[in-house]
Amino acid sequence: MKRIPFILGLCVIVLELSGSPVLAGEKVAEVNIGVVLSLSGVAADQGLQTKTGATIAAEEINAKGGIPVLGGAKLRLLFSDSQSKPDVGASETERLIQRENVAIMMGAYQSATTTVTTEVAERYKTPWLVTGSVANIITERGFKYTFRPNNKATYDAREQFDAIKGLTQEFGKGPKTLGILVEGSDWGKSHAGIVRILAKQMGYEVVFDEAYSPGTADFSAQILKMRTRKPEALITAMYTPDHIVFNKQYQETKLELPYGLHSVGGGSEVPEFYKAVPPESVRFMFVQEDFQIDITKVAAWTQPVEQKFREMLGYDLSAYGAQGYSAVWTIYDVLQRAGSLDKEKIREAFATTNITSGPALIMGWQVIHFDKDGQNVDAHGCISQNLNGKRTTLFPLANRPKGVLPVWPIPAWKDR
Amino acid sequence: MDPIILGVAVVNGILLGGLYGAVALGLSLIFGVMRVINFAHGTFLMIGLFIPFWLWQLFGISPYLSVIVTAPALFALGYGIQATIIAPLFKRERAMVLEPLSVLLLTAGVGLILDNLALMAFGPNVRGVQIPFASKTLWIGETLNINYARLFAFLASVAITVALSLFLSRTDLGRSIRSTAQNRDAAALCGINVSQIYNVTFGLGCAVLGVVGCVMIPFYYVSPTVGLAFGIRSFITVVLGGIGSIPGSILGGLILGVVESVAGQFVTATSASIFSFVIFILVLFFRPTGLMGMKV
Repeated sequence: MKRIPFILGLCVIVLELSGSPVLAGEKVAEVNIGVVLSLSGVAADQGLQTKTGATIAAEEINAKGGIPVLGGAKLRLLFSDSQSKPDVGASETERLIQRENVAIMMGAYQSATTTVTTEVAERYKTPWLVTGSVANIITERGFKYTFRPNNKATYDAREQFDAIKGLTQEFGKGPKTLGILVEGSDWGKSHAGIVRILAKQMGYEVVFDEAYSPGTADFSAQILKMRTRKPEALITAMYTPDHIVFNKQYQETKLELPYGLHSVGGGSEVPEFYKAVPPESVRFMFVQEDFQIDITKVAAWTQPVEQKFREMLGYDLSAYGAQGYSAVWTIYDVLQRAGSLDKEKIREAFATTNITSGPALIMGWQVIHFDKDGQNVDAHGCISQNLNGKRTTLFPLANRPKGVLPVWPIPAWKDR
Repeated sequence: MDPIILGVAVVNGILLGGLYGAVALGLSLIFGVMRVINFAHGTFLMIGLFIPFWLWQLFGISPYLSVIVTAPALFALGYGIQATIIAPLFKRERAMVLEPLSVLLLTAGVGLILDNLALMAFGPNVRGVQIPFASKTLWIGETLNINYARLFAFLASVAITVALSLFLSRTDLGRSIRSTAQNRDAAALCGINVSQIYNVTFGLGCAVLGVVGCVMIPFYYVSPTVGLAFGIRSFITVVLGGIGSIPGSILGGLILGVVESVAGQFVTATSASIFSFVIFILVLFFRPTGLMGMKV
C-alpha cells in the first residue's frame, strides 16, 4: 500500500517529461506517423514487407521536399512491433499516441490486431489508416477515425465469383458445380461461409464442401471425395504449408477441375509458395490477389519502386509492400489537404479523400475514397491466372494487361 | 459405398499410416527404454526435414541420398542432448528412475530452444523441395493412383521398423538395450553401461526421424513449427500401438491412417479425426498397455 503514492508520483513525472502535443498551425520540421506492424512472430514476413514499402514511399516524399503545405515538413515513420499480438499492438498504439506525438497512425496487417488498435486510436481521436486487414468488423463499428483503403473480407469472395462469371461470359461456358476446401480456422471458415451464400445466390451447386485442420500431411481423402463428386471448379482458402501439400497432391493425383482451382490468396500469394511447388502444379491456377501482381507491366512508373523493393528484400514487390507504399502516399495527399497537424482537420481530410491518380494507386485501384464508415467501397483485389509461369491479372477487366488471353476451361491433365 | 473408392481410401490410409508409425517409432523406443516422454520429438523431426532441405537447396543433393548425412547427424544430436542435458537428471535421481514431470519439462524446454533457434536461423518461411520423382504417380486403373514418393516413404517406414526390430533382437547392443529396458539394475549388475545405453537409445530414436525426414520432405514441407502437427499424433500412435513396442508403433500408425482416410469419405476430414480419438480412448479403456504393449 505504501507504494501507491510512489507510483503515482512516478506517473506524474513521466507525464511531465512526455511533453505537450504540437499545436495546429505551429511550424513543424517533422510529421510523426506511427506505424504498428507485426515485425516479429507469425506474421513477421508480411510486416517487414509493409515496412519496406512504407519506407520507400517516405524516402521518396522526403527527397522531393517533404509536405509542401507544412513548410516542407519531413515524414518521420515511427515503426513499432506488435509481435503479431493484438494486446502488444494496442499498448504500442497507446504509447505512440501518448508519448511520440504522432499525427496519424497506420497498420497493422493482422485483422485481430487492427481491430483493437483502431479502438485505441478512436479513443484518442487519432486517425488510423488500415493496411492489409480485411476483417469486416473493422469498418462496421461506426468509427470516425478508422479508414480502410483495401478490401473487406466479403469483397474477396465476391471477386472470385465475378471472375468465374466473367470468364463464363467471355468464353460462353462455365461451371455449374463448385467445390469448397478451406482451412478450418477463422479465416477459412468465414470465407467458406461467404462463398456458400454467393454460390446459392448465383445458382451454383456446391457438391463438395470441407474444412481441414491446418498442418495436415495428406489431402488424399478430400481429393478422392472430389473425384467422385466432381466439382467443376474448386475454391480454396489455405495458408502456405497446406497449399504446398495440396498443390503437390493435386498434380500427383491428376485431379480434374475443368474450370480451375480458385485460391483466395493467403498461402498462394507469397513468393515462398512458388519456390516450394513444381510449376506444373500451379499452372492455370486462379489467385485472388490483394494487389495487381503485374502492376509494373501496366504502369511503368512503378518499376523503380519495385527495383528498390527488390534491392531491400531480395524479391519482387508484394501486395504487403505495395500496401505500405500506397498508405504513406495516401497520408501525403491527406496532409496536403489538411494543411495542419490538428487531428480533427486531418480526420476531415481523410473523410473527403478522392485520389484518382498518383503513387497511392500502386495497388491497382482506380480510386481511394471512404464512405461514412471509413471503408473504400471501390477497393478491389485482382484475380490472376498462372499463365506461362507468371501470375497474370485477368480481372477487373480494367486491370488486365493488353493481349492477355485467359485459358478457360483449363485442359485435362493428359492434354497438357 | 463404391468398393473401388473404399479400396483407394484404404490404400491411401495405409501409406499415410506407415509414415505416422515411423514418426512415432523413436518416441516409442525412447519411452520403452528410458521411460522418458520426449516432448521435443516434433522438433527433431523438424531438424530431420531441414537437413535434407538445405542439402538439396544448397548442393542439389537428392533428399533420398542425403539420408547418409541426416540420420547420423540426428543420431549425434540425440546422443549429445541425452549425454549433456538429460543424463545429469538421471544422475541426480535415485535408482535411475526419473521424476516424470521434471524430465518432461526438460525435453519440452529443449524443444522450445531448438524451435526458436531454427526460427532465428531460417525465419518463419515455409519451404519445400521439388524433385521430379515426387510428382510421378503409379496408376492402377482409372482411380487408384499411388504417388511414388509416398509409396517409397511407406516402404522405408516398414524397412526401418524391421531393421530396428532385428537390431534389437539380434545384436549385442540391441540385447543390451532390451535388457536395460526390462530392468536397469539387473542390466547394470551384468556389466552393461546403462548411461551409455541411454545415450545410444536416444540417438537411435532421433536417427529414425532423420530417415523419415528424408523420405518425407519430397511431398511435405518444412518450417520451424512443422513438428507441432506430428507431436500429438505421435503420442496417440504410440499409446495405441503399445508404448515401447516397435511393431506396435507401425500398427498404431496404420490404424490411425486407415481410420482417418476411410472415415474421411463419410464425414468431413476434420470430423474424421474424432474417430481416431474414439479408438484411442477405447484402447485406453480396455487395453491400457496398448494393442501390442506388454503387461507391466
